[in-house]
Formats: sequence, C-alpha cells, structure tokens
Amino acid sequence: MSLNEVRENTDAIINELKGDARFISRITSIGLTPGCRVSIIKNDKNRPVLLYSRDTMIAVNRKECAGILVSEVKA
Amino acid sequence: MSAATIALLGQPNSGKSTLFNALTGLRQHVGNWPGKTVEKKEGSFSYQGKDYNVADLPGSYSMSANSDEEVITRDFIASGKADVVCILADSSQLERSLFMLADYAGISVPCFLILNMADVAKNQGKKINPAAIEKKLGIPVMLFSATDKNAYDQFYKTMERAIKEKAMLNVTSLEQEYKKVDGYSEICETLSDAVIPGYTPMWLTVKAMEQDQVVTAKLRNTLPNGIQKTVEMFVKQSQGAIATGGCKFAWIDGILDGAVSESKTKAKLGKLDRIYTHKIWGKAAVILTVVLGLIASFIPALPIMVMGMGVDSVNGLIRTSLTDAGLSAFLTGLLCDVLIQGLSFVIKMLGFVFGVTLVFGLLEEVGVMARISYVFDNTMGKLGLQGKSVMPFLVSFGCTMGGAAGARVIDNWGQKVLTIALAWAVPCGAAWAIIPMLSTVFFGAGAPLIIVAILFVMILHMWITAKIFSRGLVKYEDKCGMIMELPPYHKPKWGSLMRYVFGRTKDTFFRVVKVVLLVSIVFWLLSYSTSGTENSILYKVGVTIEPFTKVFGLPWQLFIAFIASSFGKEGAVGVIGALFTGGGSIYQITTSSAVTENINQILLANVSRPEALAFIFAITFNLPCIVALAATYQEIHSVKWTVRIAAYYTFTALLLSCIAYHVGLLIW
Repeated sequence: MSLNEVRENTDAIINELKGDARFISRITSIGLTPGCRVSIIKNDKNRPVLLYSRDTMIAVNRKECAGILVSEVKA
Repeated sequence: MSAATIALLGQPNSGKSTLFNALTGLRQHVGNWPGKTVEKKEGSFSYQGKDYNVADLPGSYSMSANSDEEVITRDFIASGKADVVCILADSSQLERSLFMLADYAGISVPCFLILNMADVAKNQGKKINPAAIEKKLGIPVMLFSATDKNAYDQFYKTMERAIKEKAMLNVTSLEQEYKKVDGYSEICETLSDAVIPGYTPMWLTVKAMEQDQVVTAKLRNTLPNGIQKTVEMFVKQSQGAIATGGCKFAWIDGILDGAVSESKTKAKLGKLDRIYTHKIWGKAAVILTVVLGLIASFIPALPIMVMGMGVDSVNGLIRTSLTDAGLSAFLTGLLCDVLIQGLSFVIKMLGFVFGVTLVFGLLEEVGVMARISYVFDNTMGKLGLQGKSVMPFLVSFGCTMGGAAGARVIDNWGQKVLTIALAWAVPCGAAWAIIPMLSTVFFGAGAPLIIVAILFVMILHMWITAKIFSRGLVKYEDKCGMIMELPPYHKPKWGSLMRYVFGRTKDTFFRVVKVVLLVSIVFWLLSYSTSGTENSILYKVGVTIEPFTKVFGLPWQLFIAFIASSFGKEGAVGVIGALFTGGGSIYQITTSSAVTENINQILLANVSRPEALAFIFAITFNLPCIVALAATYQEIHSVKWTVRIAAYYTFTALLLSCIAYHVGLLIW
C-alpha cells in the first residue's frame, strides 16, 4: 500500500520508494528511506499526510505519497 | 580585508537565518547570485578586532542538484570562496538533520558542526555529548542555542579553532558504508581528485550513483569515453539514491551511537497543532492568526505612520513660508509636492512594512509558518505556489506594499515573484475605501453586488494571472508537492529579529524612496500647470486620446483619474472631482486624498452608470500604487519583472474596464 492509504494513528515501515532520481533524492534527504518506521499522525483528504519519523514531524504531499510504498505495522 | 569568510550551511528550520542575523545584525546585504534568480545574503561581523564575512547559503534538505539553490550552494563551497563552512543541525532531531553533514562529506573544505536548538533538545530530555561526536568526526562540534546570548562567545571560539586547524571531516567510516554498495568501488577507482576541483572522488561517485544531473553532465565532459561507459553501466545497475541514502543514515546512526542518550520523544500533536491541522477549523485558525498578527503589527507601525502624517502636516507650513520667501511656484511645487509629500507617503506605508516584517518574521521563527504552509499547501499548489503564499495575499487586503514585503518568507524566487504578481490583484485598503463609496453613489442598493463581483473577478484574475506568469517563473521541479518538516515550536530571539526588521525596513525605505521620487517627478511634471488643469500635458494627452479611451468606457476625466490611481488610489475620486469642476492641482489631490464636498452630485451629473462601473473595475485592478511598485522591485530585485507586472496590470485593468463598460451598456 502507499503512504496515503495508511490510517491515522498507525505505524508503518517503508518498503520501497518509486519515482525519478529527483523524487528519491528529496524524499531520502528528509529521512524517509526503506526500512524506516513512520507513525501516521494525520491523514485528511486534501491535506498533506502528517507523519512522525526520526524524531521529526514531516508533511508529505498526497501525490508524493503515492511513490512511498509501506506496510502497516500491528501495534 | 577580512580575516576569513564563513559559509552557513543548514537545512530549513536549523536556525541558520537566526544565526546569520545574530552574527551580522545590520551589516548585511541582500542581492541576487550573478545571473541567477536566487537570493544572495551576505554580511560581516567583527570579533576581537578581526573582520569576518558571512555568506548565508541558500538551499533545502541536501546538496543534490534538485534546485538552483542547491547547485549554487555547493559550487560556492567547492570554489574555495569560504575558508570554513559552518554546518548547522537541529539537536532535537539529530538523526534526521545530520543528513546535510553526511551529504557534505567529501567536499574538500574545512568545516565545523553546530548542534543548534540545544534548549529544545534539553527540554525533550535528550542528552548530547558533543565531545564524543567531535572525536568521531574530526571537526570542532559544539552544542548551541542561537537564542542564547551567552552562547556566542563559545561559537566564535569554535569558529576560530576550525579556521586555525583547517579541520577536515573524517569520512573513513562513511566510505566503509558506501563500499558495501555494488559498483561504488568500481566507479570511485576511475575518478581522481582532479576531475572536478573541490570534490573528492567519493563525493562525485555518490552523486553519480544518485544520478545527480549536474555531476553526471560534468563527468560526461571530463572523463575519457571508456571510463565514462564503465561509470554509466554501474550507475544503471546500482540502486542509486536509495542505497546511498541508506549509507548516510547508517553512518549518522554510528556517529550518534553512544553520544546521545535518547529519551524517546513521543509522536503527538500539541494543542495548538491539533487546531492548526484540524480538517475544518485549520484554515480559519490560520487566517485568524494572520489577521490577529496584522492587527498586532499596527502597534509598532503606528508611531511610524504618525511620523509620516507629521511630515505631511509641516508641509503646509513649509509651502507658505517658501511662497512668502518669494520662491517660484515651480520650485515650491517640486519641493513640497514631490519631495516632502513623497517622503510622507512612503513613511506612512513604511509603518506597515515594519509591522508585517516583524510579525511574519516572528511567525516564521516560532514555527507557525510551517503550519500555514501545511494547511494551504493544496489550495496554493493549484496556483503553482507554496502554502505560505496565502499570507501575502491576506496582507494585501490591507496594503499591497506590506504584501510584497511579506512575500520574503517564500524561499523560491520564482514563486515569490508570482506571489507578488498575484497579490497585486487583491484590492488594498485604499481601494476598499473607494469601491463601496462609488458603488453606493451610482448603484445604491446594488452596491453589495458590485463588491461581490469585484471579489469574484479578483479570484478569476489571480487564477488567470497565475496561468500566464507561472510559465516563465515557476519551473516544473518547483511545482512538485510539499515534503517538509513541521519544526517544534521554539522561542524567538528578539534582539536578532528586531535588528533584522530594522535593517529590512531601512533598506526598503531607501530603495522605495528612490523609485517613488523618480516616478513622482515624472507624474508631477506631466500634471504641472500654471493655471487650472488645462495647461498640463496630462490634460492635453487625455483630451487628445479620449476617442480611444472611450472604448474602455473612460472619458478623459476618468482616464486621467485612472492614470492617477496607479500613483495612489486614495486620491482617485478627488481627482475626478477636481477635473469636472476644473479646480485644484491634480498632483496635490492624488497624493492627499482630499475629496470635493459635493462629490456625489458632481459624479452623478457627469458620469453614466456604465462609465462608473468601468471606472470602478479599472482602478480596483490597476497597479496598486507607486509605493507597492517600488516595494515589489525591492523584494524581487528585477527591473524586468517589475515592469512586466506593472504593464500587465495596466493592460488588464483597461481590459476589465472595457468589459465592465460594455456589460453596463447592455444593462442600462
């Protein structure tokens, strides 16, 4: 599943990043790399997804989320 | 001759600007990088009798070629123009924010590391041991809090140590990580130190694997064909940026291991953030914050505005005494109407700039600006803009000059220009004073409809203008969606912020005065007349081209008032009064906003309803005023774009006027 499909208040692990070199570079430079665990804080329609990872609150545009493939982690 | 040049490098929200402002105070200069549309910030400071230059390097989260900013930054560093690079990281999120350091690793320029926001980290219960990190990195490292006055002495000492020792980052363990990636060693062996000066083979290899466009192109030009093929083959096979990104974070984990005692911070939104990020109330909360901020900004703005009015009130006295002294009417006019009146005009509006710069600066420093970006990302994205652009738009309902000054929070030049270009379409306070008045005079109970129509046209105008202007201003790569951090809220550094605000206001004042005086003189000469208005060039031109301006629904009196409104909207109605009654100097009325007493009767007797409608649209969407024009130039540093925007607005205002007139003819 992609990042924008994860329900609020759930954790997920990033499995794969899909996109051009530019996208990969931007997304890794903010700390989102495969294997990285993220907590979804907010996931409202028409808003960027808010997540928490590496001690940081990060907002990711919904379209960019489509390129971030994750699997949910059961708490 | 300065002792050394220091370059500041850090991710957004690392406190780079705060440090830059605190170090340089008023000794800073903002311009553009040669031939680029990227803002260049330089400054200087003295420490123990020695002068140091500081360059605040632009950029975002990495040193890749994702934007002009990042390329400029790394070229500046690699060129050796800086003696030492000060790399900033956020102590409260070291794991992520040390990425810049990892991306820097491999550039052969001395550096030192500042772990900023030490206070925030401490509050989160994190214990950081800078000495342990320093040992692993081989460069000076210090815990720092840019908001703490007492921390600066230590900062200077660390900086001097880095300069003296020419401290180079130890990259051995990072290279060990890279060597685990397929193809790294093979590519690295084909490169030498001399391929691109300033960059080590390690750095180049990593960037080549990340398919960095600039590095790839440079390697293509410098490497022999055979080696070039080998490199390309390996780049294709390797997992590129994902693999190297993994290496960088693994290296960071190794650095922090044992140096940071983590009390795991919980992923939770604070009370304020729960409101700002609320699905329904978020936007309202943001708008309320900005509006309250604007109201608050009037408190510091008021004394400056009063000062402007003071200048205005002594003007009459000066005029009388000059006339009594026998100075010619021409010279008196030039001095009082152009110079003093112009100064008063600028000072009154400068209050607004001061207030807006302060409030926006504060919102940004505290961390609220990032929330605003988040809430409006989707809406503003449709215009090709960042979420922050909503702020200048809101400010422009009060004063377009304030809106232009507020646009400085937008870190991408093209998007900043586009934001200002769109902010011009928002009717300012002066327009809002005229629109209801004219609408009521001509359309009575229909006035609210006119206001609704104006707001509707405003939105349409912004949408179309965004389409037209974004082509030349906003590059494809800037349109990509937001990937940004919402920093923890932190206390502002008042001293540094105030110095910055004063510096900025001072700069704006001098540049704006220059432009205003220049345009004032031209306009004054055009409207200068020895008796009445009929000798002025403006009158003669207006009357001559009346058959043409009638197409737009503007008889010569209204057309001249339209021209005058691009100078300042306050006076537009007064000018009509003067022209229909044939009394008073156009120039004085334009700049003073005096209105003839029986203006309503004069208007109704001379202007038809379609003409009035045309006029309302013409002045509302005309360029806001000369001061806004000057402020726009001050913010975007481009004559070409300032002129383009101004010409575009004059043209579209007349176009809208024409449409309104012909619609009016159909109705009445």
